[in-house]
Amino acid sequence: MGLEIGTNPMDMDAIAARLAADFAAELTDVRVQEPDTVVARCERAALKDVARRLKAHAEIGYETLNFVAGVDKVRHLESVYHVYSWKTNTYLELHVEVPKAKAEVDTVCDVWPAADWHEREAWDMVGIRYLGHPDLRRILLKDDFVGHPLRKDYVDSAENHPHA
Amino acid sequence: MTDMVPDRFKMRYPKLEHFQEPNVITTTADFIFSWARSHSVFPFTYGLACCAIEMLSSGFARFDVARYGMEVFRPTPRQCDLMIVAGTVNEKMAPVLKRLYEQMSEPKWVISMGACATSGGPFYDGYNVVNGVDKLVPVDVYIPGCPPRPEALFQGLLELQVKIQQHKFVAETPKPAAQNPKPAAVTPAPVAGEEA
Repeated sequence: MGLEIGTNPMDMDAIAARLAADFAAELTDVRVQEPDTVVARCERAALKDVARRLKAHAEIGYETLNFVAGVDKVRHLESVYHVYSWKTNTYLELHVEVPKAKAEVDTVCDVWPAADWHEREAWDMVGIRYLGHPDLRRILLKDDFVGHPLRKDYVDSAENHPHA
Repeated sequence: MTDMVPDRFKMRYPKLEHFQEPNVITTTADFIFSWARSHSVFPFTYGLACCAIEMLSSGFARFDVARYGMEVFRPTPRQCDLMIVAGTVNEKMAPVLKRLYEQMSEPKWVISMGACATSGGPFYDGYNVVNGVDKLVPVDVYIPGCPPRPEALFQGLLELQVKIQQHKFVAETPKPAAQNPKPAAVTPAPVAGEEA
């Protein structure tokens, strides 16, 4: 599969409409946010299936994962996937809502291998557990760190500062 | 010209005795060893953040730390006797820094370069920041600045030279080990994917 950049130039509104039609059951709130970015929300349970179909989509084909972000929205957490389509030279921002009580979501490592370290970082900082991840360890903080510091309710503890 | 040099930067020369024979000088062992030590410091390249850029630029021709005989930056602690901690020390780096300090050859000195290494600086009280490298190893000279210019680093090095020259070679008291109030706890083995 050769990467053919921008061979299928589509209007942003057409991309959004196409996604809304093809993923009518899974994606909600599909809209164009920036000149080159479509934003959509996805149901947590459908994520893995949606990811596979997004990557294999014939006309748009989001083949590249640029980033996975963990976000604390106070009421709930969010796992945000930034994916890129070479064919249309556009981005998709996929928001998946994750409840705080059960902060779990399927990994997309087997769809986009680039997700590996990004999901580890989101686990490290925000505490989203990615089910099926091959090696879900902390990536930035030390292994015995207590808590997830980018949560809004994180309180620094003396345990994390043994030298103070 | 010599009057412009502050007293604390002047070398403390002991009385030199000259004999009739040429090229013979008697002096104390203290003087000759501390003089040699203070002018052949081997710094350890411990660059952790932007201070490292200033530290390395002070090694190149424009500022030229070689004027003080300290140009031989080494990347291994075993060949060094001065650790210039240039940057933010975080909790993950802390045990590594301590181990590297312990691997340095005696006698050894530590310079805390910049606000971060001195107190945590702008990252003070961060969730992953050690509030000053003096929590881990004994520090000889603190250099303020964010980051300090090479000139500030040189002033710190000159202060360190004065400090080194005060060492007594003959009856030298050993430098105390790192002051750590708590013994290092055994790090528990991490459990993959488990939330504590």
